[in-house]
Amino acid sequence: MNIKEIKNELINERYFDIDHPSGLKILVMPKENYSSSYAIFATKYGSIDTMIQMKDGSFKEIPEGTAHFLEHKLFESEDLDAFERFAKTGASANAYTSFDRTGYLFSCSANFKKNLEILLDFVQNPYFTQATVEKEQGIIGQEIDMYKDAPDWEVMFNCLRTMYHNLPVRVDIAGTQESIAKISAETLYGCYDNFYNLHNMVLAVAGNVSVDEVIEAADKMLKPVDGKMAQRKVIEEPKEVIDSYVEEKLSVATPQFMFGFKESWDTPERTAKEEVTMEILLDMLSGPSSELYRRLFDEKLINNSFGFEYFTGFGYSCVLFAGESTDPRRVADEIVEEIRSFRKNGFDAAAFERTKKKLYGRMIMGMNDVDGIANNMVVSYFAGEDIFTDFEIYKTVTLDDIAELFEKTLDERYSVLSVIKPN
Amino acid sequence: MTTQNIAEAVRFCSVKTDKFKTCRVNVSMAMPLDKNVSSRAILPFMFQRRCAKYPDFTSFSRVLDELYGASVSAGVLKRGEAQILSFGLTAIDDRFALDGDKVALECMELLLNMIFEPITDGESFPADIIEQEKRLLTEVIMNEQNDKRRYAMLKCEEAMFADEAYGINRFGTVEDVNALTPESVYAAWRDVLERSTVQITMVSSMSPEPVAQLIESKFSNIDRHPVEIETQFITGLPKPEYVTESMPLKQGKLVMGFRTGMRNEDDMMPAMRVAVDIFGGGTYSKLFSVVREKMSLCYYCSAGLFNSKGVVMVQSGIEDANEEKAKNEIVNQLSLTANGEFTDTDFASSIKSLTDTILSSSDTPEEICSWYASQILRDKMKSPEEFVDEIRKVDRDDVVRAAKTIMLDTVFMLKSNGEAEE
Repeated sequence: MNIKEIKNELINERYFDIDHPSGLKILVMPKENYSSSYAIFATKYGSIDTMIQMKDGSFKEIPEGTAHFLEHKLFESEDLDAFERFAKTGASANAYTSFDRTGYLFSCSANFKKNLEILLDFVQNPYFTQATVEKEQGIIGQEIDMYKDAPDWEVMFNCLRTMYHNLPVRVDIAGTQESIAKISAETLYGCYDNFYNLHNMVLAVAGNVSVDEVIEAADKMLKPVDGKMAQRKVIEEPKEVIDSYVEEKLSVATPQFMFGFKESWDTPERTAKEEVTMEILLDMLSGPSSELYRRLFDEKLINNSFGFEYFTGFGYSCVLFAGESTDPRRVADEIVEEIRSFRKNGFDAAAFERTKKKLYGRMIMGMNDVDGIANNMVVSYFAGEDIFTDFEIYKTVTLDDIAELFEKTLDERYSVLSVIKPN
Repeated sequence: MTTQNIAEAVRFCSVKTDKFKTCRVNVSMAMPLDKNVSSRAILPFMFQRRCAKYPDFTSFSRVLDELYGASVSAGVLKRGEAQILSFGLTAIDDRFALDGDKVALECMELLLNMIFEPITDGESFPADIIEQEKRLLTEVIMNEQNDKRRYAMLKCEEAMFADEAYGINRFGTVEDVNALTPESVYAAWRDVLERSTVQITMVSSMSPEPVAQLIESKFSNIDRHPVEIETQFITGLPKPEYVTESMPLKQGKLVMGFRTGMRNEDDMMPAMRVAVDIFGGGTYSKLFSVVREKMSLCYYCSAGLFNSKGVVMVQSGIEDANEEKAKNEIVNQLSLTANGEFTDTDFASSIKSLTDTILSSSDTPEEICSWYASQILRDKMKSPEEFVDEIRKVDRDDVVRAAKTIMLDTVFMLKSNGEAEE
């Protein structure tokens, strides 16, 4: 078994990268003095995976929301379901589905090894029947309706649906009432077999644990498989957006908005350097210390809810500005105006150094919590990096990198303004 | 954890540890919930963006950037019938500062400056700042309706506690905010400095002494005469009331408010905590396993205990048509709990889950901080370990006794008016 220690001197942290003979990648960060531990068992399968690759290499479509549906159902088994098993140990167990992954997790301050065994066991043993699938349609149906009333959720998906013609990131993570009605036990088994093989998964653990006890549990519970990483289909997507504006009416007091800029790249995924560079760029352009932020505040156009995100995943990347405003159109115009002014005048060197210092501090702050660390290990692993990669990049990013990236992004011709208005 | 009294009703609580990469501080200032809530609620938000030394928002924000992205937060909470102004600080620990910078103490000083040395204009605050902050607080209050789950909860509280201070919104109303003036807010600030109960909680590798001195110097020229804060506990048989409201929605929101027999925040604790957990806490609880899992009525259905007021609130998101079915089942599950109809496994699961969660809280500075900060109004603070010991002593009979005192008081249903867009 290959065990590699990955270290960062600056923050005095280390973790272990283990290639388990079963085919599973295992990442462990022991934290001395901690009393709790957190483990997450994740697969590279999320809502954007709406196609399954068949044996002959072709792709077959699956109903929207299947990854999320499977996540709900995996907790069930023929006898005791996973929640009942964790109830006996006292652990808090949960799961989530995002655009590009599904994770099953628990945190506990006692019985770690037993809990890890339960986690590895239930995720490897699916049990779906038509009756239990139908029962879940009621629960998830209510979850979907709940999100339809949530303005921050709707403003985002309206934006993505208007930005992308074909990419499945435009699809709601939980699917729709119609799409989940098409899911059967057979659909779930098909997706399970394709995406839940150990070569497509990772186990990340942080906290009051030792490498030995994690490996012992893995040796006992993991069943070696001849799997491989599931292939994602590259989907063609035009450069253009569908429309530049979309609105919906909901019961809100102040209009909510999201202003997004679609990007087009030759490669499906953004590198860590591009992500870090963009984070610095956006903070300089529109973060709380920027001139733009102050102007929008003084002109009563935004409140504390204003923020931005570099939203990326397999095949998609866009810059999203969001907030509440009595005049979303004017906010969008001001952002576009500021981008133009930056194109003309360039970036300020002092602001660049200040922003780097801030983001360096924020990265350190992110290394406290076991859940944050474990999730970060999962994301970094799926991206082909380690969790300290970003620390190294911050040291090397230059203003020229910022300028170069700026050329390729924030083009107003490919922007969408999504607004939720009061009804 | 060590505590020291800095001034009358001013307590400094320090948890010294080098386990974390940060220095985390919370300053909580408690006042009674009364008609002046708005004049105080505006203060944390106003102070969060400026102080006399860095009077404009942008320069203030840039100073925080230079302090390695230190962040200050502001909030207003309700705890029992107290309004709590809350200020938070997260900074990196000095060990990680480049060039040997002393970040944490400098940030602490900045945090205290925000509260004690704001930008003033004689016996008043600058009018333009007050205007801006009034607009922002008004939007905060109005936007509470955006989160429907939270909105339904607030409306239920408003109805249930109409004749008690607890029914007052922690920010006050839009009308209250409109009526604020630079002078009235200034007076409220002075009032908070002189009459609030204060607790400063710090989780850091820093030794508490220099911080204690800093706090002491800030209070040294303030004439302290703290006000007594008391919460009314109402026991006895309530007469259930039903309140409803409708708006364009996809999903209805049900909130059921219950009174308990608690006569103060410690009464019947922690048996009440266990009883409410078995009724509607974790996945082993009656509400999760029956109302969600067995009946498929909802995505969430849970019960929460607010021991600072001795009430239990049940929340669920359901289809309007299932309202009666859900209400009846929730009441039924409560009476099963009160009749002791839960298994030994349910009982053991609840004790294990509650203790495990509480003990895990010692691994995040935020949770350690809020564990102690939330005890601002207690004379003697309890550690997580002490509370866990108490939970472990609870037996089935205690749970039944506590559950039997839980009585339905008010039901609020936020319904769809059938006009939601497809």
